[in-house]
Amino acid sequence: MTRAWVFARRDLKRMAADRRALVVNVALPLALTAVMGLSFGGGVFGKKGISAIPVAIVAEDVPESMRTRLLEGLEKSGFFAPVWADSLAADTLVRNGKVAAALVLPDDPLTAFFRADSLVVEVWKDPSSDIKAGIVEEIVGRGVLRVQAGEAAFRALWPDDYMTIGADSLGLDGLLEGDVTDIWTRLRDPGQTAARERAFDFLVRQFDHQVALQRALQGAAAGLAVADKVPTGQEEQRETSLFDYFLPSFAVFFLMFAVAAGARDLHRERARRTLQRQLLGPGPAWPIVVGKWIASVAQGLVMLSVLLGVGALLFRVNLGPDPWTLPIVIVLTCTAAAGFFLALALLVSREKVLDNLCTAVILVSGMIGGNFLPVDNLPPWAAGAGRYVFNYWANLSFSRVIGGNEGLSGIATPLLVLAGASLVLLVVILVLFNARVKRGGWA
Amino acid sequence: MIEVRDLVKKYGSHKAVDGVTFSVARGELFGLLGPNGAGKTTTIGVLSTLLHADGGQVRIGGHDVAAGAKEVRRLIGVVPQEIALYTDLTARDNLMFWGRLHGLGGAALGKRVEELLVMADLVDAARRKVETYSGGMQRRLNLVAGLIHEPEVLFLDEPTVGIDAQARSRILELIAQLGRQGLTVIYTTHYLEEAEQLCDRIGVIDRGRLVALGDKESLISQIGDADLIRLSLPADRHEAFRAAGAGWPGCTGIGERRGKLEVRTPDGGRLLPVIQEWLRANDLPLEQLEIERPNLETLYLTLTGRGLREDAP
Repeated sequence: MTRAWVFARRDLKRMAADRRALVVNVALPLALTAVMGLSFGGGVFGKKGISAIPVAIVAEDVPESMRTRLLEGLEKSGFFAPVWADSLAADTLVRNGKVAAALVLPDDPLTAFFRADSLVVEVWKDPSSDIKAGIVEEIVGRGVLRVQAGEAAFRALWPDDYMTIGADSLGLDGLLEGDVTDIWTRLRDPGQTAARERAFDFLVRQFDHQVALQRALQGAAAGLAVADKVPTGQEEQRETSLFDYFLPSFAVFFLMFAVAAGARDLHRERARRTLQRQLLGPGPAWPIVVGKWIASVAQGLVMLSVLLGVGALLFRVNLGPDPWTLPIVIVLTCTAAAGFFLALALLVSREKVLDNLCTAVILVSGMIGGNFLPVDNLPPWAAGAGRYVFNYWANLSFSRVIGGNEGLSGIATPLLVLAGASLVLLVVILVLFNARVKRGGWA
Repeated sequence: MIEVRDLVKKYGSHKAVDGVTFSVARGELFGLLGPNGAGKTTTIGVLSTLLHADGGQVRIGGHDVAAGAKEVRRLIGVVPQEIALYTDLTARDNLMFWGRLHGLGGAALGKRVEELLVMADLVDAARRKVETYSGGMQRRLNLVAGLIHEPEVLFLDEPTVGIDAQARSRILELIAQLGRQGLTVIYTTHYLEEAEQLCDRIGVIDRGRLVALGDKESLISQIGDADLIRLSLPADRHEAFRAAGAGWPGCTGIGERRGKLEVRTPDGGRLLPVIQEWLRANDLPLEQLEIERPNLETLYLTLTGRGLREDAP
């Protein structure tokens, strides 16, 4: 193995000195990763999933304190990015597509509430943003439905206490008109003591009924229970995106090109006669090809580690449930890839042929192995054929670790396939290389 | 040091080397002369254990190259015709790699690398990538890389191909120096003057067969002391010239090559005035009349009917 390391060290030195290869193998995939991450991912560059919907709120007669609380509440929901606007400005914002919708609260809503007038909330939608505007309409509509249901129940259960009817029957007419300050001033008037007591009793009943309604709703016959099911042992919910899949699958795709170039170097060395010169050294020939294999594996390890590391750092790509599962997948992917392309190089006699063969093999195995489409979404024929290429098993392992947060036990089968393929391919390249040396095929 | 007996190497039905026999003594500088495709590189390939012979026997330092390839490889160094170096690495990195390949390491390797850089006059350029070197510098590095493990026998396969006269002169100087140090060298070339200048003995190879073997003087003596007088005449006068020449004293034969008449004679100086007189009498110009003393080129021409720089068929 010491001799193999001599050859591997030389190749690694050459790789490090080759700026063009560094650009193609590391910088280009990194750039693509960044573009993909910004397109599909989240992380430090933005939120995953649907971003907050911009809405304009028109509430011209609502006091400042209430506005602030309303704004905070809407922002806290995570669904909205609200801005205050008067009706004219809101109209312009919607028409110009600056907000998906505008919510227009009725004039003097508090008075309308106390007078039991119908509260109509208008929604102005931007038709070019129909999904987001639709979401706004749905959420507001749900709130309106809830108010309507509560009011209908109130009317049915306590018709005497229903706001205007009850207030009129108690002789409170005129007492509960105007804004809150007006009502409060009237109620504090000493001449209104009797009316105030009646009003107090009335309001207490109102609250009692509201509480009763709340309790009744808690025991309702129908309900909706939504639960997030996160993987066992993971405390926080983890969101996944397309990027989680495509980062490793693109990394594997680039890895194939890199190790194919390493395999081609065997033929280039033959053309330059450096291979023959190595064969003239003392000792067996096999360390030459094992050295190439080690260098290709090392190159792949650096490539995949850098790409996944950058993905994790910048786009919060999940690196698996423990520190060892992903590194094992990376190592086995690289050993299988290096063995596969070196075996291919040893099966053909000329670099040009190998060049074309590698390109065709990478594209086809990329298609059937899930480098362009997630393995779970491949058509059955492709998934069936994909089982015969190493990248299918690599992509499957990566998607389960990164997307599904599965540990070693969850990816035992693909890992065993990758390990077995690596071993078989290593034996194949040793046999092919030595056979060619024996028949003087490298001279 | 090297014994080659009836060596045969075939590629399919084509015999690239056909019954070659020669031996090289320890410390001898042996030239293998022949045009491209004559079988020189194939012979070196078999001698250096890279190719397996289809017949015959080759022994180097007492070891059979087939059965004792491992021992033979310890004895030999090979400098291929191509620049068999990593041009994307520096000269020092290249030499360090080739040294490690031969099991050298540590201070001994560092010392040997420095020695070779000095020998190749590349100390100042040692940290530069080889791809930035001139053709001559690359050739010198290619040569010393074959010496990293201090071999007893060095195979040099056309080490001066594709470089200018000055660079070639430095390479030849370097090889002569190695010869003086007692290294056994097999030197293949199709440059006649290199073989004449460097080699103690020369084997002339053509179409896979060794057609002549010996030192320069003995080879030339194989074609006698014949001078060659060449002249150009209109084609319709060739017959008249041949007829006249048959009666000239000292004229041993008249041939024709590439449209030129060639007159063979033991003493060109005596026959030349006779030819000039005949030309004047027949109103023919005296231009393009030349006399050539016997050398390896004439030997090669005599033996094969082709020039050394013409590729083998």
